[in-house]
Amino acid sequence: MRPLEDVKILDFTHVLAGPFGTRVLADMGADVVKIMSAVRETARTQQDSPYYLMWNRNKRSLALDMRREESRELARRLADEADVVMDNFSPGVLDRWNVGYEIVSETNPGVIYVQMSGMGATGPWSDFVTYAPTVHGLGGLTHLTGVPGRGDIGIGYSYNDHQAGLHGAVAVLAALEGRRSTGRGQRVDLSQFEVGVNFAGLALLDWFGNGRSASPVTNREPYDNNAPHGCYPCAGAASDALVDERWVAIACMSDDQWRRFRDVLGDPEWARDPALATVQGRSEAADMLDQRIAEWTRRLTAEVVMERCQAAGVPAGVVQTGLDLCERDPQLKLSGFLAEIEEAHPITGRTYADRLPIYFERTSCDEYRPAPVVGQHNAEVLSEWLGMSEEEVRRGEEAGYLR
Amino acid sequence: MSDTRGPLQDARVVDLTDERGIYGAKLLADLGADVVRPEPSEGDALRRRGPHLEDTPDGPTSLWHAFFASSRRFLSVDLDSEAGNAQLDALIDRAHVVLCCTGAFGAEQERLDAALSRRPELVVVEVSSFGKEGPWRDYLAPHIVAGALGGAVAPTGDADTPPLNAFGELHFMMSGVYVAIAALGALHFARFRKIGQRVHVPVHECIASGLEQVLMWYWYHDRLPMANGPVLERRGGLHWTNAFQTMRGRDGCVFVTPAPNRDAQLAWLIEEDAAGDLWDPKYQDPANREAFTLAVMQRLREWVATRDVEPLFKEGQARGLAYGQVVPVEGVADNPHLAAREWWTDYLPTVRGPGAPYAFSDTPWKIGPYGDVGADTEAVLSEIGWTESQ
Repeated sequence: MRPLEDVKILDFTHVLAGPFGTRVLADMGADVVKIMSAVRETARTQQDSPYYLMWNRNKRSLALDMRREESRELARRLADEADVVMDNFSPGVLDRWNVGYEIVSETNPGVIYVQMSGMGATGPWSDFVTYAPTVHGLGGLTHLTGVPGRGDIGIGYSYNDHQAGLHGAVAVLAALEGRRSTGRGQRVDLSQFEVGVNFAGLALLDWFGNGRSASPVTNREPYDNNAPHGCYPCAGAASDALVDERWVAIACMSDDQWRRFRDVLGDPEWARDPALATVQGRSEAADMLDQRIAEWTRRLTAEVVMERCQAAGVPAGVVQTGLDLCERDPQLKLSGFLAEIEEAHPITGRTYADRLPIYFERTSCDEYRPAPVVGQHNAEVLSEWLGMSEEEVRRGEEAGYLR
Repeated sequence: MSDTRGPLQDARVVDLTDERGIYGAKLLADLGADVVRPEPSEGDALRRRGPHLEDTPDGPTSLWHAFFASSRRFLSVDLDSEAGNAQLDALIDRAHVVLCCTGAFGAEQERLDAALSRRPELVVVEVSSFGKEGPWRDYLAPHIVAGALGGAVAPTGDADTPPLNAFGELHFMMSGVYVAIAALGALHFARFRKIGQRVHVPVHECIASGLEQVLMWYWYHDRLPMANGPVLERRGGLHWTNAFQTMRGRDGCVFVTPAPNRDAQLAWLIEEDAAGDLWDPKYQDPANREAFTLAVMQRLREWVATRDVEPLFKEGQARGLAYGQVVPVEGVADNPHLAAREWWTDYLPTVRGPGAPYAFSDTPWKIGPYGDVGADTEAVLSEIGWTESQ
């Protein structure tokens, strides 16, 4: 048994952030029913797209054409049965479909209603359109992640989409615990922008407290000055192409680790400079250290550098690409973290899962089903949630509102 | 009807985390759980992490600690003494959840095993860097190393920079939020089934789970028209779709995309006489879809380079486009939308910081007062029934 098998979630989310949040809850056993529609071109054409397949496993699909009154009525009835309704449409869309919080909570006072909009339900920017890089830019993360003088780098993937989804899952679970205490559900206004600004928290406290404006620091530490601390080029590239470069991260977090690292380097003359014995001295000489270390790492593979450093008690790790994670990483192999989903997807056949990175000892979450196609579970969902017969469902599909 | 306490008001948590899990404890504490963080009498080592609030009469205060250890109660315990160990055990015995990281203060395996055998309904969430077994099990992995091995560093950066680590503690905030989910998921089960359990969260997998295109690219690159191999190189601010990019304007940088309304973007470029050959009928051919995307983005880069970024961002949004200006920290602090939502909150009497990542309608989120070393020792010991004679 999985920990959330008693939880029913009506899922109106799309793209990444919302689906990632409901994916985690589905992995933990919640019955997540994803509302989709074949009349929307994006749903129809993307139901077998890699992006959709990545974030929607373990869910069931119910097709509703929300332009139709019959579909809205069904959505209303489903919402009455749900513990949780989640959406990441712009504020107001679900209200227009008559499944907004005010309406649903009248008949289902225990409902937990999480709205994961880009900017939140209120405020002058509440109708702004956002993707993760929008939030990274406006929230300071793009400015802070990079090299001095460049504001156009930022994080190389949609970090905040994942985090907004995970914070949505936290909100659901916290509200379920709150409902246990109070007997009431509630509405949660989750602004993906506010989730994102939260990640610049340290820089913001430093600004408000000290008036210091943080700048990008390449791979140095922004505050604690440990050195050496960076990514260094290594030997072993399969070609001269950027994609094949090999790098290793090394971080000496204490004087003791520096002394150990000096031994790994072979105790060269330059490293014996007494000024380097302290964090302060190494921090002041960080450029020189980076240059010397790079001269050393260029002669070795990233794996050799990592193994030698770690054997000596010095933190170091290969800068792993997707290929490394999927083919070479011994930890992920051992845990089976990356795996093909056994059950074939109705359209694409093979699909894959990075498993839930949470290992419950007594409620193991090791069931993985592929992402559903539009309306794949119409009959079973409507039967289980609303007691509808197969005949009723067939009629709805023929009439077009269950598609 | 509103409650004055958070949704986790009935949850008691012991926080034995370090950097890898402390964000999870923060999430629970700020949501109203009673989270007690034991620390040695000389103070939590994380109280030494920067940045610090410099101008204070009692010496620097760690803003790192004030942020990540918010809303906690602090218990000073001497784990070299029998009494201190008994105090910590007694604290754990009245908790619903223990959060711990391998090797952190008070997180000895024997202690947790004993607690679980005394109280089967207890939830213990254990965070490790790489898992409980395997060749990297004991590898040291501070933030940059964890990010590198977890796959988060390789896609960040540009052709003329090294791979880049994300600012601050972003990788450990990823593992931290999974810690909160693990704790609340197991607590939910324990509430209804009276069965607790041990839950393990490996940081390495948490980081690898949040990389958007990276795993997708490896698994499905043969189905992605823009992919030419299993790995996408680091490419600055250009998104894997080729249709989103952080671009340089005349006075700064701005994230620009024709999504989600390509027609609106094209109309705007036409108005600005910057559309070039985008009307060429060849782009109507679905086979040229990718070429069209590249052509649009090239036009946008040329056009954005001639524009000031703030008005461009605002007009983009007014036209339904997901533009976003790249702003420094002080710009975030001055954001009018956050001000209108009264979002900021106080972490210290003179220091504001981020407010709630989610607003609950009935049970408020709030930051509790920040305490010195062992500030709540007397109250906590009294609650666990510890008397002076003991």
